[in-house]
Amino acid sequence: MIDDREELRRRVRDERPPLDASVVLRGGPDTASLLRSHARRLNRLYVLDGGPVFGVSVFVAYGDIGGTSERTILSGKLRGYPTIYRTTVEVVLRSGLNLLPTFAAPHYTVITPDLDAVADLATAFGELVDNPYA
Amino acid sequence: MTTIDIPADLNSEDETGMVWTFLDEAEDPSIIRPGEVVVAGSPLTPAVCEVVDLVDKAVGTVVHLRVLPGTIDQYRRLLARVGGY
Repeated sequence: MIDDREELRRRVRDERPPLDASVVLRGGPDTASLLRSHARRLNRLYVLDGGPVFGVSVFVAYGDIGGTSERTILSGKLRGYPTIYRTTVEVVLRSGLNLLPTFAAPHYTVITPDLDAVADLATAFGELVDNPYA
Repeated sequence: MTTIDIPADLNSEDETGMVWTFLDEAEDPSIIRPGEVVVAGSPLTPAVCEVVDLVDKAVGTVVHLRVLPGTIDQYRRLLARVGGY
């Protein structure tokens, strides 16, 4: 059977954000149902290393200046979100999820082992907080 | 609750740097045309977006969206101010 989906690995950057100084940001709010819808959308368009992939988009901030700084992301890409999720790379990875630097920085995709594990995303993202730049 | 023209994750980007989603998720796909201004996202996170282009892929037609500045409420206030609507 021929899989017509695109290979996400071709869109992965060679990049590792500093574990102890990186913040994972995502505009919210989300619900479990919404997260599953977003994960299914990714799965419909892409495969990862030839197999099925589920995940949702986030932005990873590090450094004080430039396009990857938290302030730039919150006041730019996430400006339309009055509330956001803010956690750390370490928390995401400890939750059994994987972070792939996909497409252009600061975009990342949080990869879940399967669709059911999308619920773990909500736990890893934690509580909504105000976006001071919205 | 705001009616959504086309569901999308406004955090998502692809190689174009724009938000993407699938055309067949739209309530009325006929209004999703390049240059059209639509409401995208989810009922919890709606945003006014410009349809940039439609790209036919093997798994479906992908819609690229540019999120426009301002909130839905700001656009409502604008329309109320300029009148005639």
